Amino acid sequence: MNESASLLHDATFMRAILELVIPPSEDGRLPGAGSLGLAGNLAGQIEADPILGPVVQAGLAAVQVAAMARDPGGLAALPPAARLEVVESELSAQPQCTMGILRYLYVAYYAHPRVLEGLGEPARPPFPQGYELEPTDPGLLATLGRRRRP
Amino acid sequence: MSNEPVGVLIIGAGASGAAFAWSIAETGMSVLCLEQGPWMRSQNYPSNGLDWEERGMGPFAASPNTRRLPADYPVNEEQSEISPLMFNAVGGSTILWAGHFPRLTPNDFRVRTEDGVADDWPIDYATLEPHFSLNDRMMGVSGLAGDPAYPPHEPQLPPLPFGRLGNVLAGGFERLGWHWWPSDSAILSQEYGGRAPCINLGSCVLGCAQGAKASTDITYWPQAQRRGVRVRSGCRVCEITVRPDGMADGVLYHDEEGQLREQKAEIVVVACNGIGTPRLLLNSKSTQHPGGLANSSGLVGKNLMFHPYAMITGVFDQSLAGRRGPIGCAFWSHEFYRSDPARGFVRGYSFEAMRSLGPAQTALWGMLRGRIPWGANHHAAYAQLYDRTASLLAITEDLPEETNTVTLDQVLTDSDGIPAPKVTYRLSENSRKILAHATARAQEVLVAAGAVETIVEPLMRAAGWHLMGTARMGRNPRTSVVNEWGRAHDVRNLFIIDGSIFVTAGAVNPTSTIQALALYIADAIKKNLDHLFD
Repeated sequence: MNESASLLHDATFMRAILELVIPPSEDGRLPGAGSLGLAGNLAGQIEADPILGPVVQAGLAAVQVAAMARDPGGLAALPPAARLEVVESELSAQPQCTMGILRYLYVAYYAHPRVLEGLGEPARPPFPQGYELEPTDPGLLATLGRRRRP
Repeated sequence: MSNEPVGVLIIGAGASGAAFAWSIAETGMSVLCLEQGPWMRSQNYPSNGLDWEERGMGPFAASPNTRRLPADYPVNEEQSEISPLMFNAVGGSTILWAGHFPRLTPNDFRVRTEDGVADDWPIDYATLEPHFSLNDRMMGVSGLAGDPAYPPHEPQLPPLPFGRLGNVLAGGFERLGWHWWPSDSAILSQEYGGRAPCINLGSCVLGCAQGAKASTDITYWPQAQRRGVRVRSGCRVCEITVRPDGMADGVLYHDEEGQLREQKAEIVVVACNGIGTPRLLLNSKSTQHPGGLANSSGLVGKNLMFHPYAMITGVFDQSLAGRRGPIGCAFWSHEFYRSDPARGFVRGYSFEAMRSLGPAQTALWGMLRGRIPWGANHHAAYAQLYDRTASLLAITEDLPEETNTVTLDQVLTDSDGIPAPKVTYRLSENSRKILAHATARAQEVLVAAGAVETIVEPLMRAAGWHLMGTARMGRNPRTSVVNEWGRAHDVRNLFIIDGSIFVTAGAVNPTSTIQALALYIADAIKKNLDHLFD
């Protein structure tokens, strides 16, 4: 495993960066992405992506290098404001890396039961229970009834 | 290695192959279907898991170039403005379709007569009507009779519920006085034929675990098999073989283990869709057919038509509960379907109401449009879009042009080494004008429905579901590939029954018409059995 790939498996580093990308919501209903244990799966998916994988790994390595220039402990060792500054600075210069992270993070985050509950959705797969759907407005149907082809 | 010869060999087990197989089995002939994909299992569909949206971007993606499953073949689309989409399995693309089930209108069969462009079909709506009806009964259709945009027909089941989103959108059309009508949907609103009704999973295009959406693996195929039709899955046909007199005598195919096998047949029926069919015909060159099978006209692979789509999304300041329910089956509008010289283009378009995206797709969609940032403002931006969007799809009529083609790629091959198709497609000026008109009208009606903002995707690239025109039908062998009942002009025991034979595309989803055509061709064969090869 090379150094940049190992960052994907550095739980502390990943937790720190994911929490910046999706922090907890202000009202506390939605958790931060760093607290959901998503990093392991994300690492596997990103590594397996032949196009975005190397871009993300390179981007993360740049983040860590920039962080270590401020504190030898790296990103996780920085105070919150400094972390944000480093990540914003590095990711804004690497939109492909950002897209690669978000591509996998958003999909994992918005499938997590705690996030679904926070959105007001049932924390379960669509099948087999399904969902209720409001009926068609009877007034609309009555309107169509008057236009029906005989 | 060779198998026992059969009477009828069908290549492709999708929408048309299934309908044809069920019908032709009535003759008592031995019928075999070769399908390159597998049988699907509903318990494996994404909606069984929380990761359903993730799987929709991988093994259930609509593009074969994304999925890259063993059943898929690659498509070179570098020279195409629209990406072809399809699914390879028993059931074909009906596994992943939305179940939106309009028919072509009577006007669509006589475009030349009506508007002086393209060509008329050699058949008309009235000829297909009994086959439309039969197909509706086989698939199970929900809808509301009486749409003034169509001749009378009677869906078996009441329309699907609109939900809040459908009610809001329909209100916009009502305020402007524009045509709208509950869609015919091949999705069950009530139990039908032993299949359970829709429970609003919202994941129709990833396979329907409930079985409420009609895919031919659960509609036609079980009934066809009861009639004795055999389906051999995992078998990829690489060539249709011919006798010295030029008639088809079977196929060569790779079986599940990749072994090359031979299957002889008296009648060969091609049902591989508007890209797979010309690919196979062009791959079937012989001394008798040096330009590819059934290609004396030179039109195999030409006149490729998609339905160019625009998607116009309204953002509302209320929850629309929009991600639940059949994604594309609330209502349609034919307000701008027919030509109007004042608009500056010929032909027209329909609208299809679409539901909101799921939680993850909302985030990705918002990201790609710069609407949902990462960081501190993420949640606020997300909340403005999630469950608050409703979209209209504008489905525009593409006219046939010989420069839009399916050819064989000189380099790219599938896993069996068979040359892959190369799609060359450029949007016409007429289609661009239609899309622009549709986009403006959609914005207008979304605002009338209460949208506080609209977001426009003026041409959807990943929307090449409808593959038509590449082996067109007609009476003249010099200007068409098959005759008015699907028989190849050049090869009298070769039939083509999929969207390839469309002469024009209309501006509605084609599956209902594709299947009606397949049933009509099967009937024509039955009626002409005594002199089929004359």
